[in-house]
Amino acid sequence: MRRGFPWARHAVLVLVSAVMLLPFYWVLKTAITDENIYAYPPRLTPLDPHLFNFVDVWYLIPFPRYLLNSVIVSALAVAGNVVLNALAGYALTRHFPAKRLVLLLLLSCMLIPFQATIIPAYLISARLGVLNTHLGLALPLLSTIVCIFIYKASFEAVPKSLIDAARIDGLSEWRIIATVLLPLSKPAIATNVILAFIWSWNSFMWPLIITRDAEMQTLPLGLARFLSYLEDTTGALYAFVVMVLLPGILVFLMAQKEFIRGLTSGATKG
Amino acid sequence: MATVSLRQVRKAFGGVEVVHGVDLEIADGEFVVLVGPSGCGKSTILRMVAGLEDITSGEIAIDGAVVNERDPKDRDIAMVFQDYALYPHMSVAENMAFSLRYRGVGKPEIRRRVEEAASILDIAHLLARRPRELSGGQRQRVAMGRAIVRDPKVFLFDEPLSNLDAKLRVQMRTEIKRLRDRLRATTIYVTHDQVEAMTLADRIVVMQGGHIQQVGTPEEIYDTPATSFVAGFMGAPAMNLLPGAIAGGAAVLPDGTAIPLPPDAHGYEGEALVIGLRPERLGYLAPDAPTDRPVIDAPAVVVEPLGSETLVTLDLAGHALHVKVPPRSVRRPGERVRLAIAPDSVHLFDRDTGRRL
Repeated sequence: MRRGFPWARHAVLVLVSAVMLLPFYWVLKTAITDENIYAYPPRLTPLDPHLFNFVDVWYLIPFPRYLLNSVIVSALAVAGNVVLNALAGYALTRHFPAKRLVLLLLLSCMLIPFQATIIPAYLISARLGVLNTHLGLALPLLSTIVCIFIYKASFEAVPKSLIDAARIDGLSEWRIIATVLLPLSKPAIATNVILAFIWSWNSFMWPLIITRDAEMQTLPLGLARFLSYLEDTTGALYAFVVMVLLPGILVFLMAQKEFIRGLTSGATKG
Repeated sequence: MATVSLRQVRKAFGGVEVVHGVDLEIADGEFVVLVGPSGCGKSTILRMVAGLEDITSGEIAIDGAVVNERDPKDRDIAMVFQDYALYPHMSVAENMAFSLRYRGVGKPEIRRRVEEAASILDIAHLLARRPRELSGGQRQRVAMGRAIVRDPKVFLFDEPLSNLDAKLRVQMRTEIKRLRDRLRATTIYVTHDQVEAMTLADRIVVMQGGHIQQVGTPEEIYDTPATSFVAGFMGAPAMNLLPGAIAGGAAVLPDGTAIPLPPDAHGYEGEALVIGLRPERLGYLAPDAPTDRPVIDAPAVVVEPLGSETLVTLDLAGHALHVKVPPRSVRRPGERVRLAIAPDSVHLFDRDTGRRL
């Protein structure tokens, strides 16, 4: 760590943080004031703050239904990622024939954008009969390659002798994952939870394609529908945005310490 | 308790064979130490006995039953690892109880066994702590406690002391010795430290390059090393191995010193060979002290005082000769040192095969 001018470093960090936080603040401010966002000069502090926009959003559209759908889909996605990625990650730490090929395939699959796989994903979902269901909404999000690799890196950091000891102690491979590796991989679990939650919570294209009726739609679709309902409702729109963002921010804040450790583990030695 | 048998056990990683057909019989209650330099295959053998490595060919039997195809958990063994391998997210008591829980042992019995092992190892006051709150020596005790509670047929130790500092290592070695005498369990102990091997073993197995060089009691290994490798590996400092020849019924050292040999060695007359001399068996002679034994007279090159004794390296016609001499008898390099050789302390080895003659 370099010494000298700590106040200068802090000033720069405060400035950068302000730049990052300003849009969030602006959204929140608009949501509670109904201000015209194009007003000039812009007003920094809120004038006559109120919560009517949030009430409007809750009652004007079936917000609770969208919220429930989003919660169910995200819960499924989080559970799927935490469990399935751990199994895949563990498999990748073991030796098996053509392991390098499998790793290469997984890595190359990361290069394919989701949009390119939507048609096959839709056809498979139709075959499985899960169109317009919560499971169908969550299915393509149940496992993500990058999160598999996060588990893999985390499991590889666990000393091999611990796994040997567990094997001698009589644990099956499943038990080794559940009782030895996962408790020692909390940062990787947190990373999986956050990323799976954010990706499923924000997912728009897939729910748009797979849902047929409004009862199954999630919050991002609700937001789009809300946009088409009303004109000149910047305040209500921003209130909606705040309500959509809030759970994600909460999940992130709860797990952020472990999350950051998870993203950087394996990046440096020791 | 049980016997362990290895019959023609081989292990290859890819195309490279690292253990070449090892045969070894370990008796019930015997403490056997596998010793050798890094890469000699000792840990691989231990892991094969544990079931953590497959056997390429051959047979391993525990208590008469071939266990080649058995999982580690079904072999009734317990292993102590070099890095302790304690579960960091569990307390000491949970670590010790862990395997018993998975074997369906009742809670009162688990508790009894954990407490008993803890009192044997003097860790009863640490049971509630996590491994990270323990010192290296305490962790090692917990690792041993975890093995003891299992009451297995065979104990396996994989270099258990090599992560400890020198002082603690000596202390733990004594503890293991005490434990050994108390439990009298069949044990295979792997180490690269020949002092550990000498002090702990009922029998020592010296390995090199995937082969067993010699199996014997510590005394046999020390007194009659089967090969020049064993001679050079066991003992601190190691045996001096000097090129020489047999001429006129005597072993002739590089500086021309001739050591008369017993008649049975005369058959090697004229052969070039390796002469082994233990540093501690070369008797220091004061400069003008008389002796009827053959005498080496050579200048000191390095003098290392240890307090209780002094290690001196001599220049014997271009070859280093290590000796132990009384404290303060040799003070600085350049001094000439006289050493008397007892003829029965001379070891002869074939120069090509390294075999004892």
